[in-house]
Amino acid sequence: MKFGNLLKKELRELITKQAIISMVFTMVLLIVMGQIMGTAMEESFDTSTITLCNQDDSDFTANVLKKIDESQGTSINYVTFESDDYAAELERLDIKSAVIIPQGYGDSITEKKEPATIKYVSTMSTAGIASSMSTLSGADVINEIQTVCMNEIMSENYGLTAEEIALIREPMNTVEYTVNNGKTAQVSASALSAITMMQSMIAPFAIFFLLLMASQMIMTAISTEKIDKTLETLLSAPVSRMTVLSAKMVAAVISALLNALFMIVGFAFYMIGMMGSAVNEISTAANEMPGVDMSAAAEGITGVGQAMAELGIALTPVSYVLFALQLFFTIAIGLAISLILGAMATDVKSVQTLIMPIMIAVMIPFFVTMFTDVNEMSTVFKVIIYAIPFTHTYTALTNLMNGDMIIYWAGLAYQIVFFAVCMFLAVKMFTTDKLFTMSFSAENMNKKRKGKTVES
Amino acid sequence: MAAVLEVQGLSKKYPKRENFAADKVSFTVNEGEIFALIGPNGAGKTTTIRMISTLIQATEGDALVAGHSIVKEPDKVRENITYLPDEAGAYKTMTGINYLEFMASLFAKDKETLDKFVERGKAICGLGDRLSDKIGGYSRGMIRKLLLARAVMTEPKLAIMDEATSGLDVINALEIRKMIKTLAKEQNMAFLLSSHNMLEIEYVSDRVGIMTGGKLMVVGAIDELKERYSAANLEEVFERVVKNNEVR
Repeated sequence: MKFGNLLKKELRELITKQAIISMVFTMVLLIVMGQIMGTAMEESFDTSTITLCNQDDSDFTANVLKKIDESQGTSINYVTFESDDYAAELERLDIKSAVIIPQGYGDSITEKKEPATIKYVSTMSTAGIASSMSTLSGADVINEIQTVCMNEIMSENYGLTAEEIALIREPMNTVEYTVNNGKTAQVSASALSAITMMQSMIAPFAIFFLLLMASQMIMTAISTEKIDKTLETLLSAPVSRMTVLSAKMVAAVISALLNALFMIVGFAFYMIGMMGSAVNEISTAANEMPGVDMSAAAEGITGVGQAMAELGIALTPVSYVLFALQLFFTIAIGLAISLILGAMATDVKSVQTLIMPIMIAVMIPFFVTMFTDVNEMSTVFKVIIYAIPFTHTYTALTNLMNGDMIIYWAGLAYQIVFFAVCMFLAVKMFTTDKLFTMSFSAENMNKKRKGKTVES
Repeated sequence: MAAVLEVQGLSKKYPKRENFAADKVSFTVNEGEIFALIGPNGAGKTTTIRMISTLIQATEGDALVAGHSIVKEPDKVRENITYLPDEAGAYKTMTGINYLEFMASLFAKDKETLDKFVERGKAICGLGDRLSDKIGGYSRGMIRKLLLARAVMTEPKLAIMDEATSGLDVINALEIRKMIKTLAKEQNMAFLLSSHNMLEIEYVSDRVGIMTGGKLMVVGAIDELKERYSAANLEEVFERVVKNNEVR
């Protein structure tokens, strides 16, 4: 009963109306941002309509344009440029880009037998990722015109048949295989990466937020009691300190999970909204590469999923349980450290200062594992990074996917030992005078620092 | 009358400090008695009170609360005491009534007792309808009244109060003093007070102990001390003990 009442009180303190509003707001913001970004990127990827200004009156050019217009899924939006002031012309026509086929384009190819010039004008976009995608999209347009042009030259100038042209364009049929951990599957590595990309981004993000939230929650729960001077009253009541401690830890985990849930849902929608179109493009492009088994391409994601299972990199329910186990110990370690640090806080400023070491310890493995493979690093760096107990959870999914079970179990054992030591220190602190005698004041630190500066 | 609190040579030495914060302190508080510890800042009053409240551990000595040792049975001790620290706060996100219910739930063994404690708390604090408001909106005086009600609503054998009336206006402080006297007299509740307010101590206490430098110098009934030191009031006794180290 006492534990229940304490837990209820802690949850009431941590999950306030303001906290819930803030969680919902963050989630909605992420979803909306994802949708906006997704729409912007889809527009950038859209090559179904080519805006074109044809200044050449040759039969060759007319023929090429006719073929493009007749090809499936692409249409030409013809515009006329009245001057060479491209900025003014784009603005006048209210378009973002256009392909210009200058006068003499056809003659250059058919008469002079020289490469002709084609112009592509586009407005610079400052919308981050969308701007780079827009550049890719421009290259696709040029590529498409070039392909039709090449076919036309081979057909008209050299009298090749459609079959001969197809053979020249694709003289070999490559079948792509991906190897992992001694297993082989007939699948494109690029297609695999596209599918695993979202998974490998969401998991570290979830760990990152869950850890920070839980640490911040427990630190707030302990420090607020000290700062508001309610701790002495609570601890002089007939309830054991371990019960008080447990209630605080459980409440911190519950509220952190709630926070993380809102954040992960928001982030997942953000990724789906933003990356969805990009993943589709990359995946489709990889499957349509010359040589990729077209049956797998037709099966799409299911085909890649089967290939992942064949390679042994598909996560099983056991993998998820093992990942959850490391996630649990990561949070437990974060809570134990925060408990010790939070108990030292004397004011709000010192809470902000004291959370810094945890933030750094959470951020380092987050960024390192996002950009590189820890196992590929030099021994010194590997030891340093793996000494941070949170690293093992960041790398858990990769290790489980690759079947690096020795690294996984060693990481788990290290986390258990680390947690036991931290918890021992936290309990010792909470059950002795240290809870009241140990303190850290950011203000005093500043005063001391200023004093030293004046002295020197 | 039986002793509710027996302090036996209680000492406390904090790490990295040369002197004892409390040095072999011994005194007793009987049922229905109001005992006050007085002394200048840093005399060791709060340290002594914190040891009796089981918040910090004694370096030497012991204290028995209703027969239970603070060293060996701190859980049993906490069942028999309530502690009101100086400048204590209450949970700002709770309403006054939630706070009383929460604190009562830590002491009560069943629902009936819990309801009885809460009803008592409501009557003692005198906050009326404001009990439904969040504590975050309370004045300092209102919080103190709520905390005082919390400290006595569970009918502890020993109520320990550090600066019981700090933050209260004259009328409210007077009410609290009267309440303490009534509870001691009618319900046989023992009080261990600590205060810098000599007038308050003189009005409310049966006996006082004067501390300085961690040592309990003098213990006695107020009238007896005044007579012993041929002093007109407690303040004069205090001055002679603390300033002149005059121990009689």
